[in-house]
Amino acid sequence: MSKPEFVYTTYIETSADKLWQALTDGDFTERYWFGHRVASDWKVGSPYRFTHPERPSPEGKVLISDPPKKLAYTWNGCSDDLKQERTSRVTFDLEPRGNIVKLTVTHDNLDEGGKTFLGISEGWPMVIASLKSILETGRPLPADLATNAAREQADA
Amino acid sequence: MPKPEFIYVTYIETTPEKLWHALTDGNFTERYWFGARLRSDWTVGSSFEMVRSDGTVSDAGKVVECDPPRRLAYTFVNQSDKYRNEFPALATFVLEPYGKLVKLTLTHQGFAEGSKFFQGISKGWPAILSSLKSILETGQPLDIPYAALKLDS
Repeated sequence: MSKPEFVYTTYIETSADKLWQALTDGDFTERYWFGHRVASDWKVGSPYRFTHPERPSPEGKVLISDPPKKLAYTWNGCSDDLKQERTSRVTFDLEPRGNIVKLTVTHDNLDEGGKTFLGISEGWPMVIASLKSILETGRPLPADLATNAAREQADA
Repeated sequence: MPKPEFIYVTYIETTPEKLWHALTDGNFTERYWFGARLRSDWTVGSSFEMVRSDGTVSDAGKVVECDPPRRLAYTFVNQSDKYRNEFPALATFVLEPYGKLVKLTLTHQGFAEGSKFFQGISKGWPAILSSLKSILETGQPLDIPYAALKLDS
């Protein structure tokens, strides 16, 4: 049986260079990634780390860095229960199509029935929707989107 | 083996009413849906069609659920020979307000194993729904080249 895998494709009116910057620049990620800043030198083998003033954030190491086409990193969950799960992998493919970039996010090597899979399946659509909004309109989606959704899930 | 099913979630800065209009008004869908006008009276049991700019029908099915501005469901299948053995699968749109956003969840299910139409819709929906988000947030749809979908690969 195949391992669970999360694949999400979107199309954004931007350039591949701007999208690359949006994925790798901490000042930029903080604005649309609901307050999470990323830091790394983005060399293959280097560590990267997201930080947030109030919430745990993922970290890992860079697997592929081929600007502005392909970025991949390992993904270690942040909270204690997520750390029990295997290290998963995130790959971003950026494909220019005229004045649009097709962005495909693939998150794989996930534990079957794990909490990481549930969490990222909720999280990526929000992050990518906010990323698309900030690149096309200059405004990200509201920062409380992630916390409201988390609360709803906890109440459910 | 599980049956193929396509699920896509996005968040759009709009109202449920505007999003409902965008999903059901043929003049509006023509702007962001690769030129397709949706045609239906949106009554449960009524016919549902996607109409090309030359007036021919590309896809057809029936309205299954219509609860504005919350839930919309219809079946459809492409009318080309390529899919002549396929059943109309069910596409369900759920609209949930999230503050000043709307969470849109599309679930498309009921495909047979190995369905070619499933492969097509899996490539088509991300493009259509990306263009839908853009037109509602910026006023302009995306100009995605149809070839970018790689429907033949």
